[in-house]
Amino acid sequence: MAEEFSTEGMLDMYLFENEQLLEQLQDRVLEQKDADCFDEDSINEIFRTMHTIKGSSGIMMFDNITAVSHKLEDVFYYLRESHPDNVPHLELVEHVLEVQDFISSEMEKIRNGDPVDGDASELIKDLDKFLEMIKSGTGKKGTAAPPPPPPANVHEEPKQFYIAPVATSASRFFKIFITFFPETEMANVHAYKAVYALKEMAEDLLYSPEDIIADEASAEVILKEGFRILLQAQCDEEEIRKLIGEGYDIKHVDVYECRADEFLQGFDFGQPKAQIDLESSVEEIESKVQASQEASKEEQAPEKPKIAPGDFVIKSKAPGKPKTLAKDKSKTEKASFISVNITKMDQLMDLIGELVISESVVLQNPDLKVPGLNLNRFNKAAAQMSKISTDLQNVIMSMRMVPLTNTFQKMNRIVFDVSRKLGKDIEFEMVGEQTEVDKNIIEHISDPLMHLVRNAVDHGIETNDERIETGKPDKGKVTLSARTEAGKVWISVEDNGKGLDRAKILAKARKQGLLEDGKPESSYTDKEVYQFITLAGFSTNEQVTEYSGRGVGMDVVVQNIQSIGGVLDIDSSPGLGSIMSLKIPLTLAIIDGIVMETGNSSFVLETGVIKQFVSVREDMMIHEPNGEEYIMIRGECYPVIRLGRWYGLDKYEESVENGMMLILEVEDKKICLFVDKLIGEQEIVVKPIPPYIKKVKGLSGCTQLGDGSIALILDPGGLV
Amino acid sequence: MSEMSELKRRAADGQAASSEHDAQKGKYMTFKSGNEYFGLKIEYVSEIIQFQTITAIPETEDYIKGLINLRGKVIPVIDVRLRFKQEPFEYNDRTCIIVINVKSTMVGLIVEKIAEVVEIKEENILPPPTIGRMDKGQQKYVYGIGKVGGAVKLLLDPDKLLNDDDLSVAEQANDMILGEE
Repeated sequence: MAEEFSTEGMLDMYLFENEQLLEQLQDRVLEQKDADCFDEDSINEIFRTMHTIKGSSGIMMFDNITAVSHKLEDVFYYLRESHPDNVPHLELVEHVLEVQDFISSEMEKIRNGDPVDGDASELIKDLDKFLEMIKSGTGKKGTAAPPPPPPANVHEEPKQFYIAPVATSASRFFKIFITFFPETEMANVHAYKAVYALKEMAEDLLYSPEDIIADEASAEVILKEGFRILLQAQCDEEEIRKLIGEGYDIKHVDVYECRADEFLQGFDFGQPKAQIDLESSVEEIESKVQASQEASKEEQAPEKPKIAPGDFVIKSKAPGKPKTLAKDKSKTEKASFISVNITKMDQLMDLIGELVISESVVLQNPDLKVPGLNLNRFNKAAAQMSKISTDLQNVIMSMRMVPLTNTFQKMNRIVFDVSRKLGKDIEFEMVGEQTEVDKNIIEHISDPLMHLVRNAVDHGIETNDERIETGKPDKGKVTLSARTEAGKVWISVEDNGKGLDRAKILAKARKQGLLEDGKPESSYTDKEVYQFITLAGFSTNEQVTEYSGRGVGMDVVVQNIQSIGGVLDIDSSPGLGSIMSLKIPLTLAIIDGIVMETGNSSFVLETGVIKQFVSVREDMMIHEPNGEEYIMIRGECYPVIRLGRWYGLDKYEESVENGMMLILEVEDKKICLFVDKLIGEQEIVVKPIPPYIKKVKGLSGCTQLGDGSIALILDPGGLV
Repeated sequence: MSEMSELKRRAADGQAASSEHDAQKGKYMTFKSGNEYFGLKIEYVSEIIQFQTITAIPETEDYIKGLINLRGKVIPVIDVRLRFKQEPFEYNDRTCIIVINVKSTMVGLIVEKIAEVVEIKEENILPPPTIGRMDKGQQKYVYGIGKVGGAVKLLLDPDKLLNDDDLSVAEQANDMILGEE
C-alpha cells in the first residue's frame, strides 16, 4: 500500500504516523479500560496524541479529523487540569474508541483516494455532551474536586501549545532565535517547518508568535521581529542547528542554552528589549538577554513563572525531576527502528532464497566430483561462504519476525466491543504476546484469531444471568496465549464459558447427515465431535447475532490455518469452557530438510519430524491380508507407508532391505515411511506448488535442489 | 450469430490488452499435435524452451506431467496431446515446451512439433460451426478456425485449455472440419 504513495511523501508520512499514534492510543485505552479512571500518564498521552493528530490533520486540511480530535483533546484537557473524580470511565473509553474508529476510517478513505467526507458532527455533539456532563458533575461535587481552572482556558480556542510534561535530568533548555530573509514569503509556514522539525526531539516547545498556522499576519511579525522558540530537549546545539538548517529562507539561527528556570519564564526576556539586532555580536545579545532575565527573575522569584496567556506550558510535576520514563523509552526505540517497505523485505527474502539455492548449486556441482581434484582450499572457502549465508539467512529471518503484540491488542479491542454490545462482563488476558512469528504468518492468523475470539465471547461465555445461575464467578474470562514449542507456535484462545455441547453438536451433525451410517454416536471421540463445528455451514447458535451464528467462520478459520500449514485443535469441557489451539509454523520460508529419493522422484521431509532412520530386514515386516503392513522395531509396532506405492510411482524399490525406513512422529502418532534412498540434509527454500495443480494429499510445497531439479516437500500430516 | 459477436468481443479484448504490441496483432504461434495444427495468440506465449527434466507430481491428471524449474520459477507442464486425449508420444531432445502466460498463470505446454508463427487476418478466422454436439458446445477451447493459404489451424483459447475439466479435441476438431467442408 505504502508504495502507492511514495510520490506523496507527506501524506504517506501523515497516514503512517497517525496510524501508529492511533494504535498506541487504543492499546493505552484498552489497557486501562477496567480501571476506574485513566491514570495521569494516560490522560497526558491521549491528550498529546489527539493534539498531534489535530495538528497534522490541520496541516493536511482534513477538517473533520481536526474537529474531532480537537474535541477529544478538549475533554482530556479538562480531565488533566481539573481531575474530575466522577467520570463515567467506560463511557469515556467508548468515546475515545469511537473517535479512534472515526479517524481510522477517514484515514482509510484518504489512503484509498476517496473524499474524506465522514460526518463528525454527531461525534462532536456526543463529546460536547459528555464534556458538559463531567463539568457539571464536578461542579456539583464541589469541595472534593480540586477547583476547576478558569473556564477561559477550557473554552478558548487552544493555542499552539506543545505538551511535554516530562522533564528529565538529561534535558537541556535552549532559546532559539530565527531570522528570515526579508523577502521570504509565507514566513509563518517556514517558521512552522522549523517547529515541526524540532518537535520530534522536543520535550517541551514554545514559540512566538504563537498563531503561525492560522494567522497569516504572523508572517510579517516573524519577518520583522524574528521567530523565537523555547526548546527543552536532550540534545546539543549542533543537532538543533542541523534540524533547522540555514537555507534559502533562513538567514540566521541563534541558539542559546539556558537554565530550566529561565526557560519557564517563557518569552519573558522583555519583548521589545530582546529585539535582537543582527549587527551586535552573540555575546552582546546574550548578556543583554541574561541581564533582562535576571532582572525579571528577581521580580518573579516567589511567584510561579509567569506564562503569557496562550503560552501554555503544561506540566504535571516540577520540571527537572526525573519522572515517568515512558517518553524517554519511546524515544530510544524510535532512534533504533526504521520502517522498511514490506515489498523490499520480500524481495530481499526471495533473493536470499535464490542465494541459498545457488550456493548449493555451486557447492554440490558435479564438476567438483571429478576424481583426483585437490579441493582443500575450495572446501575452506566454501565452508566460510556457507557460514555467511547461514548467518545472512538468520538475520533476514529475524528481521521478519514480529511479536504478536499488535495482533493480540486487536483482539483486546474485539473482546471489549463485543462484550459491551452483548452486555457480558468479560475479562481479557494475554499471555506471551511477545512471542515472535514471521510477518507472513501474522497476516494469515489475524482473521482466524478474530473469529475464535468472537466466538469465545459470543458463544463461549454465558450471559451474566446464566453465570450467576450456574454459580460461576460473574466475570467471564477469555485468555489469549502464545508460546513456541518445537519450532511451532501455539496460539490458544481459552474461555471459561459453558464449553461445547456434545449432544447438540451431534444432533446437528445428524440433521446435516454428517454422521456415518451405523456408527453409534458414542463411538465418536470428543475431538471428532468438536471437529464438526469446523465444517462450513455448521453453527449450533440458534440465534444469528451481529457477530456470529451464521455458520461461516469456523470453516474459514480452518482453511486459513491450513493454508499456512497449521492445525486447529479444539478441546472443551462442559461447563468449564473451551480451548481452541492453533499450531502454526514459525516461518514459512526456509526449513531444514532431508532429501530422499523414491522411484525417479526426489522428496523432502522437514528434519524435525524424522525421529530415526532404520535399515530393516524383511522378517521384521508384518503383512496383513488386507494389504496393510506393519513393522516391528525394537518391540514397537509401526504402520508402514511405502512412498512409492502410496503415490503409485514408477520403478520404486520393492524390497525393504534395499531401502530405508524413516520413523516419523506426527501429531502424537508414529509411522514408518519407506523410501528408496536418502540423499542428504539441506536447507530448503519452500516454494508453493503452482496453484494450477490441485492440492495433492501429503504434499505441502516444492523446492529446488542443488542440481536445479525440483523436489516435492512432503507434509507428514497428510500421510497419516 | 452469437458466436460471431463473442469472437469480436474476444478479439477486442485481446487488442485492448496488447495495444502496445501492435506488432503481435493477428500473429499466431502454431504447433502440431496429433494430425491437426493448432494456433495460439502470440501474446500468450512467453517463451519456448527445450525439453528438460520434469518432476512428476503424483495423483494428478495424467496430462499434467509435473513441474519444471524455469530459472528459479517453478511452473507446471502439461502434455497437449494427453490434454486432448490423443495418443501419448515419445519425448525426444527435439521436443519443445511452449511457456504460456495466461492471466498470470505460467504453464508449460509440451507439444509434438512447433510449426511457425503465422499471421491470420480476422476475416480469415471462422467461428466454429454449430452443427452436431451443440449440447456440449459450451466447452469450446477451440474458438475459431484460421485459414492460412490452403491449411487450417485450430485456434485455441488458452484459458479454457488450462482450466476446462474435460475435453477431447479430436471429436470437436473433427466436427468442425467436417462442418467446414
